[in-house]
Amino acid sequence: MAALRDGDFAALQILLKAPSKDAVRQLCQECFSSPPAALGPLAQRACPGLAVSAQEAEQLVSALHNLTRHVVYRGFTRAEDILCLFPENFHQNLKNLLTKIILENTSAWRNEAQASQISLPRLVDMDWRVDIKTSSDSIARMAVPTCLLQLKIQEDAALCGNNPVVSALTVELSKETLDTMLEGLGRIRDQLSAVANK
Amino acid sequence: AADKIRLIPQDFFAELCEQIIQHLNHKIPGINTAELCQRIQTSGVDINIGDLAKIANTLSFLFSTAARNNLSTEELVTTLGSGVSTLPKHAVQVIRHVWNEQGKAIAVSEEEGNMATVGQFVDMKWKLGVAMSSDTCRSLKYPYVTVTLTVADPSGQITDKSFEMTIPQFKNFFRQFKEMASVLETV
Repeated sequence: MAALRDGDFAALQILLKAPSKDAVRQLCQECFSSPPAALGPLAQRACPGLAVSAQEAEQLVSALHNLTRHVVYRGFTRAEDILCLFPENFHQNLKNLLTKIILENTSAWRNEAQASQISLPRLVDMDWRVDIKTSSDSIARMAVPTCLLQLKIQEDAALCGNNPVVSALTVELSKETLDTMLEGLGRIRDQLSAVANK
Repeated sequence: AADKIRLIPQDFFAELCEQIIQHLNHKIPGINTAELCQRIQTSGVDINIGDLAKIANTLSFLFSTAARNNLSTEELVTTLGSGVSTLPKHAVQVIRHVWNEQGKAIAVSEEEGNMATVGQFVDMKWKLGVAMSSDTCRSLKYPYVTVTLTVADPSGQITDKSFEMTIPQFKNFFRQFKEMASVLETV
């Protein structure tokens, strides 16, 4: 979890060398989304665009990562809360620009954080089909309706990094088992309504 | 597999055979390999679930083939004896006993049976939770649904699969199931 450190704001002022406001915006987004381990390579990519030394680029990228993550962690939605974070002698225009960029992105960033937080594997897709079994090697004629369900489940994003593993679970359900499932799901729905009404 | 069978204490081996026969008789939805493995391990035996699964598969194949060929108990025991690797005596005893008691009852069943290329749904457990806080967001209040599906795979072995859904995903999930049910009604 990123905490703001003393040297961070000094490092942020390196942004004054950025070629444009869009470049700053782009860098903010990349720094937020990058996990700590990928900050090094990100700094190397940012270096030429900023015309700074490798070390300065690293400090900047790290500072920007900490700042953006800190704001999302605290859940700030007002400009005042973000402006307060900066020290008194910080460059005014840069402070305002950064605050503006952060406010624009904070909602999307929060969603991104929620989507990548630790969790059990997540359901990413579901497909189904209803078949009728008409015959088999043991029975010549029958008409048994049956459901085939395929769930695509993605393993914990945090564990897989950039290559999430998606596994497919294919399950057959009969009318009876489908009813069991529906009953369970109905109870979840009832609970959700009860919670929503509190 | 015969070497590993050696490791399993007789009473656990008997329980495994029981479950397999009951599954073949469609009395239970599947064989609880994971749970049985855990209990065997707790009793001090070093066996992993992969090995136990292989043993269960082998036994299941043995019993179902014997049922199809209408083998008597003596015929079954003779077949075992002539196999490449010899089973430990206590295992043969258990198999003889289980087959005697319940083997004949495995009818080549007049049901639709399991066309066994996919798992069979056994049970669903669920939980509705609210994530309050995380290392990325101090104040979350993020509701989610966790579901554990218990599935019997084609060989009859039972496994659990757990996953999470967001609330919108859950609503879609529920809607899809209602649709599946209504289609099943009409065909």
